[in-house]
Amino acid sequence: MVARRQFLRYLGATALGVAATGCKLGSEYDVRSLAQPEVLATLGVAEVRNIGQRYRTLNPSEASVNAIREAILGSRPLAARLGLINPPVAALVRGDFEHGRTVALDGWILSVTEARQCALLASLTT
Amino acid sequence: MHTDARDLEPGSLIEGDLCIVGAGAAGISMALEWIGAGRRVLLLEGGGFDYDPHMQDLYRGDNIGLPYYPIQSARLHFFGGTTGHWAGFCSTMDPLDFAVRDWVPHSGWPIARTELDPYYKRALSVVQIGPDEWTAEAWQRRDPSLVPFPLDRNVAWTKMWQFSAPARFGVLYRKPIVDAPDVHLYTHANVVEIISNENASAVQELRVRTLEGKEHRVRAKRFVLACCTIQNARLLLASNGQASAGLGNANDLVGRYFMEHLEMPSGNLVTLGRTPPSVQMYDWGWGRTKARGEIALSQEVQRRRRILNATVSLSPAALSDPPQSTFQQINPQLIEMFHTGKLSDDVLKTPPPSAVPRTFQLMTRQEQAPNPASRVTLSTERDALGMPRTRLDWRLTELDRSSFAAFYEELGCEFGRAGVGRLQMRDWVMQPPNAGWPPSLSGGWHHMGTTRMSPDPKQGVVDVNCRVHGIANLYVAGAAVFPTAGCVNPTFSLVALTLRLSDYLKHSSA
Ligand SMILES: Cc1cc2nc3c(=O)[nH]c(=O)nc-3n(C[C@H](O)[C@H](O)[C@H](O)COP(=O)(O)OP(=O)(O)OC[C@H]3O[C@@H](n4cnc5c(N)ncnc54)[C@H](O)[C@@H]3O)c2cc1C
Repeated sequence: MVARRQFLRYLGATALGVAATGCKLGSEYDVRSLAQPEVLATLGVAEVRNIGQRYRTLNPSEASVNAIREAILGSRPLAARLGLINPPVAALVRGDFEHGRTVALDGWILSVTEARQCALLASLTT
Repeated sequence: MHTDARDLEPGSLIEGDLCIVGAGAAGISMALEWIGAGRRVLLLEGGGFDYDPHMQDLYRGDNIGLPYYPIQSARLHFFGGTTGHWAGFCSTMDPLDFAVRDWVPHSGWPIARTELDPYYKRALSVVQIGPDEWTAEAWQRRDPSLVPFPLDRNVAWTKMWQFSAPARFGVLYRKPIVDAPDVHLYTHANVVEIISNENASAVQELRVRTLEGKEHRVRAKRFVLACCTIQNARLLLASNGQASAGLGNANDLVGRYFMEHLEMPSGNLVTLGRTPPSVQMYDWGWGRTKARGEIALSQEVQRRRRILNATVSLSPAALSDPPQSTFQQINPQLIEMFHTGKLSDDVLKTPPPSAVPRTFQLMTRQEQAPNPASRVTLSTERDALGMPRTRLDWRLTELDRSSFAAFYEELGCEFGRAGVGRLQMRDWVMQPPNAGWPPSLSGGWHHMGTTRMSPDPKQGVVDVNCRVHGIANLYVAGAAVFPTAGCVNPTFSLVALTLRLSDYLKHSSA
C-alpha cells in the first residue's frame, strides 16, 4: 500500500508530465485532480485503488493514464467537447447518475466518470 | 371478568356469543372493541398472566426448511402474547402491497389499502403511537431537524415509521379486560380442537385443555382464531375429526404461504461532500425515537424492475463490519427472557453518538413473495396437551433474492444523483441467479400467511371478511390472513385488520 503522502507526491510528479494535454480545460481536468474522485476523502486511497484496479481489469482498453483521461474527456457532452462549455467534473458525475451511466465495482455503485477517476488513481500508484 | 380454567370443574361448559381464541395483539384488540357491546364475549387464553416454561414448550416444533429462530422462541404463550417481545416498530403498508402484481405470483389482496385507512387510524391508540402522520414532510414540520434526503419521488422516497414504547398488551390491557363485565377472560384455557358439525360447515364447540389435564367445552355463536400465524394453522390442521385434512383445508391451503420479512444488512452507504446530508431523519435510538424514515423505491421503479417491496434503514457502522445472521446471533434463552419487556436502563439511556457519522450499514426489510411451498404442517411428535407439534418448512424463491440486487442498483444510482453519497452492495447481493442465501440470512420475527385471504376458496383459506371458506361461524384474526407481506412490521396492520373484522362481526348477524 502506498502511504498517502508518498502517493500525493507521486501524483504531483506524474501530473506534470501529462497535464499539458488539457490546455483549454480547467485545472480540475489535469491528471492530478482527476485522480482524486470525491469518494477518496471517505474511502481512502487503498479502497479507491482497489476499485480503480477492478475497473482497469474490466476495461483493458483504458489501461494507460492517457487512455483513461481521454475516456473521461471524451464522455463529456458535445458542447463541452467543442469547447463551448466547461462543466466541472462533479457535473459529469451527476450527469452519469442521472442517465444511468453507472458501474458496480467491488459492490460500489459509481458513476462511470468517477470509476475512471479511481482507475486513474490506480494507474498512477501501481 | 377473569376465570382460571384450572379452577373449573372438569367437563365444564362455557358459553357465550362470541369466542376469541388467543389473547395477544389480535385477540386483545378485538376483545377491547366488545367491552360494553352488550354481548357475552369469551376470551380464551392458553397461558396465564406470566411466562411459564411448560406453557412455552407447547410452541416447540421442528424446522425442516431454511435456518430459522427456534420456533418456541419466536412467539410468547401467555396473556398479551408476543407483544411481550415486540419492539414496537410500526408503519403502514403501501397501496401497491394490495395490488395484483403480474411479476409477483399469488399477489393481490381482495381489498385496497384505502379500506384499511380508517382502521389504521383507530389502531393508533391500541398500539399507542400517533399522530396519524405518515409523510416525511409532516414530521419535518413538527421537528425541523428531520430533513429527508432530496430524492426524486419517482424513484425513491422516505417512508415513515413510528415507534410504540413498545405497548405490552398484557400489562396495558389486563385491567380493562378483567374489569369488563361482558368480556369473560379464561386463562390456562388451551384450545386443542375445533369441533364442527358433521359436514364441517359450522363450528359447534371447542375442546379446551389445561396442562393439568382438565378438559372443558366452549360454545358460542361465532369463533375467532387469534392464536398467531403458526398456531392458527396448527389448530385448524389438528382439528381433523370431521374433515380429515383439517378444518378449512378442503383445498390443501391451510399452513401454506408462510411468510417472513427478510431483514438483512445488505449494503453500506458513505455520505459525501463537505456537509453530509442530514441523517437525523433516519436515525433510531431505543426509547427515544418517535418517528423516523427509511428509504423505499417508488411503485414505478418496482413495476419496471419487477421486484418485491423493501425499505432500508441506516445505522452508523464501520464499512468493514461483517453482517451477521440474527438466527445465530440471538441466544434462545435470552429471547425467552424478553418476555418481561424490561430492558436495562443503560440501554434506554444510551446517548446518541456525538460525531456525525459518514458510514452506515444499510439494513433491508423486504417482503417475501408468497410461496405455497413455504409452509407449516404437523409433526408426528405431540406436546404435553396431546396436540401434534408444528413443523415449519420456510422456503424462499429466486425473486426474493434477485430483488435485493435490483433494489440496491436503483438506490445506489439515486443516492449518487441526489448527492446523498455512494452505496456499496454486499457480495452476496451481487451473486448470479440461484446462488442461494448467505449465512447472514435473517428474518424479522414476523409470521404471516398460512390462512391467506382470497375471495376464491381455491386460492385462500379465509374470505374478504376473514371468515374461513365453507365454515359459517369461524374467523381468523392476525397476520395469518395476509395474502402478501408488505415490507413493514405486521402488528399495526394486523391490529387494523382485526378492528375491521370486529366491525364486520358487530354489523352482521350470527
Ligand atoms: C422479538 C420480536 C420482536 C418483534 N418486533 C415487532 C415490531 O417491532 N413490530 C411489529 O409489528 N411486530 C413485531 N413482532 C411481531 C409481533 O409480536 C406479532 O406480529 C404479534 O404479536 C402477533 O399478534 P397475534 O395476536 O397474532 O399473536 P400473539 O401476540 O403471539 O398472540 C397469540 C396468543 O394466543 C395464545 N394462544 C396460542 N395458542 C393458543 C391456544 N391453542 N389456545 C388458546 N390460546 C392460545 C398465546 O398464548 C398468545 O397469547 C416481534 C416479534 C418478536 C418475537
